[in-house]
Amino acid sequence: MADELYLENIDEFVTDQNRVVTYKWLSYTLGVHVNQAKQMLYDYVERKRKESSGAQLHVTYLVAGNLHQNGHVCHKVAVVREDKLEATKSKLSTLASVHVYSIQKALLKDSSPLYNTDYDIVKTNLQHCSKFSAIRCAAAVPRTPPEAPRAPAPQGQSEPHAAGAVNGHGPPAARATPQQHRGIAGMFAAKAAAKPQDAPKETKAETKEAPSVSAASSKPLIKNNIMNNFFGKAAMNKLKANSVPEQPKEEKEAVKPSVAEPELSPNAVAEKPGKKTESARIQQKDKKSKMKRADRSDDEEERDPENVKKKRKRIKQLQSDSSDEEDVPPSPTPEEERAPSPPPVPALKTELEPASTEGSAGGRRRKRKRVLKSKMFIDEEEGCMVTEKVYESESCTDSEDEFPKPKAPAPHKPPVLPTKREPKEERKNLKKGAAPANRANKQVSIMGFFQKK
Amino acid sequence: MSHAMFSEQAAPTAQGLLAPPSAEPPTFPRVPVSGYSDCSQPFQLGERSFSRQYAHIYAVRLAGMRPGLERCARSRWGNDIALRKLSELQAGEKCCVVGTLFKAMQLQPSILQEISEEHNLVPQPPLPKYIQPSDELMLEDELQRIKLEGAIDVQRLVTGTILAVYGSEQDDGRFLVEDHCFAGLPLPLPWNGPSSNRFVLLASGLGLGSVSGEALLSTQLLVDVVTGQLGAEGEQSCAAHITRVILAGNLLSQNTQSRDTINKAKYLTKKTQAASVEAVKMLDEILLQLCTSVPVDVMPGEFDPTNYTLPQQPLHRCMLPLASTYATLRLVTNPYQANLDGVRFLGTSGQNISDIFKYSSMDDYLEILEWTLQAGHISPTAPDTLGCYPFYKSDPFILTECPHVYFCGNAPHFQSKLLQGKEGQRVLLVTVPDFSATQTACLINLCDLTCQPITFSGFGADSEDRDMEVGH
Repeated sequence: MADELYLENIDEFVTDQNRVVTYKWLSYTLGVHVNQAKQMLYDYVERKRKESSGAQLHVTYLVAGNLHQNGHVCHKVAVVREDKLEATKSKLSTLASVHVYSIQKALLKDSSPLYNTDYDIVKTNLQHCSKFSAIRCAAAVPRTPPEAPRAPAPQGQSEPHAAGAVNGHGPPAARATPQQHRGIAGMFAAKAAAKPQDAPKETKAETKEAPSVSAASSKPLIKNNIMNNFFGKAAMNKLKANSVPEQPKEEKEAVKPSVAEPELSPNAVAEKPGKKTESARIQQKDKKSKMKRADRSDDEEERDPENVKKKRKRIKQLQSDSSDEEDVPPSPTPEEERAPSPPPVPALKTELEPASTEGSAGGRRRKRKRVLKSKMFIDEEEGCMVTEKVYESESCTDSEDEFPKPKAPAPHKPPVLPTKREPKEERKNLKKGAAPANRANKQVSIMGFFQKK
Repeated sequence: MSHAMFSEQAAPTAQGLLAPPSAEPPTFPRVPVSGYSDCSQPFQLGERSFSRQYAHIYAVRLAGMRPGLERCARSRWGNDIALRKLSELQAGEKCCVVGTLFKAMQLQPSILQEISEEHNLVPQPPLPKYIQPSDELMLEDELQRIKLEGAIDVQRLVTGTILAVYGSEQDDGRFLVEDHCFAGLPLPLPWNGPSSNRFVLLASGLGLGSVSGEALLSTQLLVDVVTGQLGAEGEQSCAAHITRVILAGNLLSQNTQSRDTINKAKYLTKKTQAASVEAVKMLDEILLQLCTSVPVDVMPGEFDPTNYTLPQQPLHRCMLPLASTYATLRLVTNPYQANLDGVRFLGTSGQNISDIFKYSSMDDYLEILEWTLQAGHISPTAPDTLGCYPFYKSDPFILTECPHVYFCGNAPHFQSKLLQGKEGQRVLLVTVPDFSATQTACLINLCDLTCQPITFSGFGADSEDRDMEVGH
């Protein structure tokens, strides 16, 4: 019988799984009204105790009622153990409610397991936390669309500031925080999540809201271009670099390059290397590029600041990991070193050719490049820390080549440097090799910033 | 009669859930809000400029309250009384002067003294009260000041109060006070309250993010009662009459302030997270649960992430991504003023009252609350000892209309009193206790302006029967 099923369920939860079964937990788990859950728990207790008087069951109750205290009539709501139930009830002048709060095998010393159980189950059901409650509120509806899209715009821009050292708590619930780590993949997932959001928003929107929605989307578009202009080339380069390691990841990602290109139209020149390398990818995943521009634009402003943040991270990581699949050759960078501020066009042109060959070859290559790095060591003679910027050649992989270089600037320093120091420095440099290299790159030439892989 | 209203309606079905599952259990619709309007515009700051001095706020305060005080003085001491400015005083003449009080206190913390190298002073540790017998009162008006003595309680009064004194100037240059009066209760507002039971739940000092988790279950019980999860059917149907929840400040605990990160170098704190981040996440979840079921007004308090000076601006909705998607969430200022179902509410998160507590001999929060109403000003000690925005056009803390419910949050105990004024004012004064310490919130019945405390408790290892310290 369906009626008896809940008894078996409760039995399983309490005795087999040794859980603390609160009424709320049962209500969410079985999908029933809270009052039914309370009655189910009561029923179970009664039957179990009738069957076997030695049943190992401890029950807590909720007692509520009026209490005369200090001249006030106070409404008291308390969770009590069974052994204190009658005592508590007798203290109250009027009893307002009493029902089973929870059942568990063990005797609870304090009420924190109850709290933890309730907290966990509510946390997993946040989206519909009032579903099984006894009160329905007609006014509790999500805000109307014109308000919500406006919020992401200021939110998106404040994100890089707000996020700070801690990774994203800011974004609305629709965007799952883990996806922020995945860079472009995260952007797509966020967009995918936002798409169903957009769909109900659009269905809800009446004709009068349609102009506001389009106005909102044109505004983000304009913002996009501004944001993209600022980060544009770096963004493009990062896109290329990112899409490679994330090839096995979500398919929609492929749309991003094709999407980003038309939107980054002001940066046509910068796009060429992008297009060349992306063409291969686009061919592979052409069929997926059917997303509407309007949908994407809604998320651009959130993505771009996210991009910025993620891109900065990615740049570091890319240089440090041994990605043999990098499309963008490190060859432009030696050119940067030599000409600290090369004009954009020639630099791009030189990049174009290797890019195209790279694209066609599509292969693995280790390149050696000279990188400006900061070396920090303790100067024994003066007992201070010294930081020096030195060029050292480094392959795409983070490694061996750093060692020879420090010895070159070393001679003019006091040779008191113990040998122990060097392995330490090298270890330090290994770990931080990529990061200072990137920073050094940026400092050397501003174009290096735009021509990032 | 209505004190017990909340429980007595529920009594008949109290044990109804101690039974096998019945058929479809009832759900109760939340009583809708019949009228709401936010009257906190004076407390909302737009463009803020701190380039002005604080002298202006005192000037507009005096100018704003002078007419009312002159009226009070005339009605009290006769129509033919001489109203003088300090510059017009003549020795020996009995007259009435309206001015601002200044209390010179030896123990008052002074930043200038602390940083003064000549004095070589160790900064004074915070004291519960800074009053001393040697304190002196001065009366200031637009141009001059004069020392007061006589029938005036120096210990009780605080700086920034506008009052009228009746007496005469002595030969030694001091003013001998024979009587004094305050602005009195402001003008009454018409009553448009509901005719049936409507409750508003007032709570403050949730104190999320604190080290101890004792109050967490109580907070959850509070949410569950309001959202109708807890309780038997009768209680749930009563809870459906709660039309609003107001959280009066200190949603975060003082522990989230993490002062030590301020002293650390920034590069060492690179990957550390502010303690308030976790607490705000927890707050967001709690607010989400409430917002899906009842309109909630959230006021910031002393320890909440908003500006420090009064009036505190609303918390930013970006901190509460889950809850702010609901239209039922309203993030409001501190102080907060609104019309709820025809009843005018005015209240603060308690900083004004606790500041007066420090500089006055008054010990009782309810007494201080009533005194601010009588003095016609929400926070006279601002900006002297309580941070305040340098207003210059008008002082928004002057009370011009008498609210129906006047509350302050984060009080040590729950207290309430229905005050009747001479001109027909009816005010319910409520000191909302700090929930993290007392696990007590307040239920106000809008129908008849009564207030009932509601306490929550779990059980602990030490004792089950923790009698809540309630009232008086």
